[in-house]
Amino acid sequence: MLEDKLLIWKFKLGEKAALARIYEKYKNNLLRMAGGLSNQTSIAEDVVHDVFVSLAQSPGQLKLGGNLKGYLATCVANRIRNSNRAAQRRRTVNLDEAESSVKDTNLPESWIIRNEELDKLNFALSQLPYDQREAVILHVQGGMKFRAIAKSLNVSINTVQSRYRYGLEKLRSLLNSEVIK
Amino acid sequence: MRPAEEIKDLLKNVPVNTNSQKDKQVLDEILNTMDQSQNAQPAVNRPNIWRIIMKNNINKIAATFIIIAVVLSFLAIDRLNPPAWALSDTIEALKDLKAVYVVGAYPGGTAEIWMRSNDSGSHSTDSVVRGSQGAITWTKDGSTYHYEPGQNTVYFENAITLGLSQWFGPELLEMFRKADNTEIIRGKDPATGRARVTMICSMIDSNGPQSWIIEFDVISKLPVAFKHWQNLDRSGQPAFEAYKITYYETLPDSFFEINIPGNPTYTEKPLTIPDENVGALSNPRDGVSIEGLSQQEAAEKIVRILYRAVIDQDLDQLKNIAPLCRNWNDEFLQEIVFKPGKDDRITEIVKIGKIFKTGHSKLGPIAAVPTEVKLHNGKRVENKMIIQFRRLGGKSTCVVHGPYGLPREID
Repeated sequence: MLEDKLLIWKFKLGEKAALARIYEKYKNNLLRMAGGLSNQTSIAEDVVHDVFVSLAQSPGQLKLGGNLKGYLATCVANRIRNSNRAAQRRRTVNLDEAESSVKDTNLPESWIIRNEELDKLNFALSQLPYDQREAVILHVQGGMKFRAIAKSLNVSINTVQSRYRYGLEKLRSLLNSEVIK
Repeated sequence: MRPAEEIKDLLKNVPVNTNSQKDKQVLDEILNTMDQSQNAQPAVNRPNIWRIIMKNNINKIAATFIIIAVVLSFLAIDRLNPPAWALSDTIEALKDLKAVYVVGAYPGGTAEIWMRSNDSGSHSTDSVVRGSQGAITWTKDGSTYHYEPGQNTVYFENAITLGLSQWFGPELLEMFRKADNTEIIRGKDPATGRARVTMICSMIDSNGPQSWIIEFDVISKLPVAFKHWQNLDRSGQPAFEAYKITYYETLPDSFFEINIPGNPTYTEKPLTIPDENVGALSNPRDGVSIEGLSQQEAAEKIVRILYRAVIDQDLDQLKNIAPLCRNWNDEFLQEIVFKPGKDDRITEIVKIGKIFKTGHSKLGPIAAVPTEVKLHNGKRVENKMIIQFRRLGGKSTCVVHGPYGLPREID
């Protein structure tokens, strides 16, 4: 936490080394989160890329006291949600295509190097309703408290907790089933 | 079936490997973006230098913390008499708290302050104030620096004008209690139910008029929050409001190492005194005659008389030489300046140095001069004093305005 506070200060001062450290520290976790939320590697990569570019554009305007991890996690979740809404409007990807994109082979320019364990987990996450998936990922991978998630989603804390509970239970069931294995 | 903890562990730790070439490509892109965004900042949004340095800004936080130093005019005080209400075991426990972290707000932004004390816990040695707008004020090797990112400039002065010469603890409250115009109110924190002591006080010192509301926790005797105004009646918005104070046993050196990006310009801050204090320095009956003397000779003369008055515990002479002392009661002055019977009282003037900085007040020229003094315990301390030169009623005289920053122990 202390390191994050110092990183934020230094970043606000315009220290590029601080941004580089933030990037190194959190990029993998953000890619993990974005992959789980979006079910599509390319979208996950784009979102994380955009979150960092957006952060770099306004160091002086960043209003953040301490929880950098949670802040970045919220940025990723918001962008994924926006991306999902845009995709729904365009209706350019049907369910079959969406599923196949999860299992895409590595493209030469791909940022995430896929592995079996990650694929299995993301596939299992893709089976959850989005709200439950979001609650599970923001809490477990984003390190956010239920209260913070509820605030960012503008829902009650009880709603978030039940989404998390159901989501985690379903994930357990999916990851223990033969389908996943 | 795998337990929930195992699923959570999998979610947290599932390996994510990335293409290193792509990693570097994205990193380069975001660093370039940061460069471009900084260069594109319109100059109009950059704060005016004097608004930043002299007006409502982070720099006033230095005044918030220096106040105690300027009240304790002559050197870092080790201990006052043990306060009757302070529990000895509490004091013992507090001896280990040598570092503090303060979060608060000043007009125009928020600030976070890191500070740590010397080994004996009497005064601060390192301080850093970081403002939300990117400004930083810090102390290092006897000097104080203030970085303005909008100007890419570091303003410095060769004196420690940020810090505490009575470290946080029961003695701090006791010291304030001895000052005039102090009220103490007892109550409870409605949030936690814990007993609190709220102290309201005001005084005029060499930083000008000051008033405070300080909230102490009754059990620990530590300040838990405070507000500071640069007026006597606590009117308007506070110059600084500390809403969170956290104490630590220690903090690493890295917290106090400041590396300013790029190549900022270094500019020395001018020597000034508050306009509000000029009136108190204008009585022609105060001070000493300096007819026919150079500024250096005059400074040496008055500083020597000042310290002689301290050593001889001559209260009238002290007030005559340093008229701002009239703002405090005799008991307070005795306790803070003369320290009768204490090991850290001044016993000898070792050396008066050369004037190292000059400036102007409304009354005339001012100059800062260093003096090395020896204490009863054998330690040597350097104090810097600001001298006000004036010509009143056709006569050239001078008085001592007060200390320029914190005293500094000499190894």
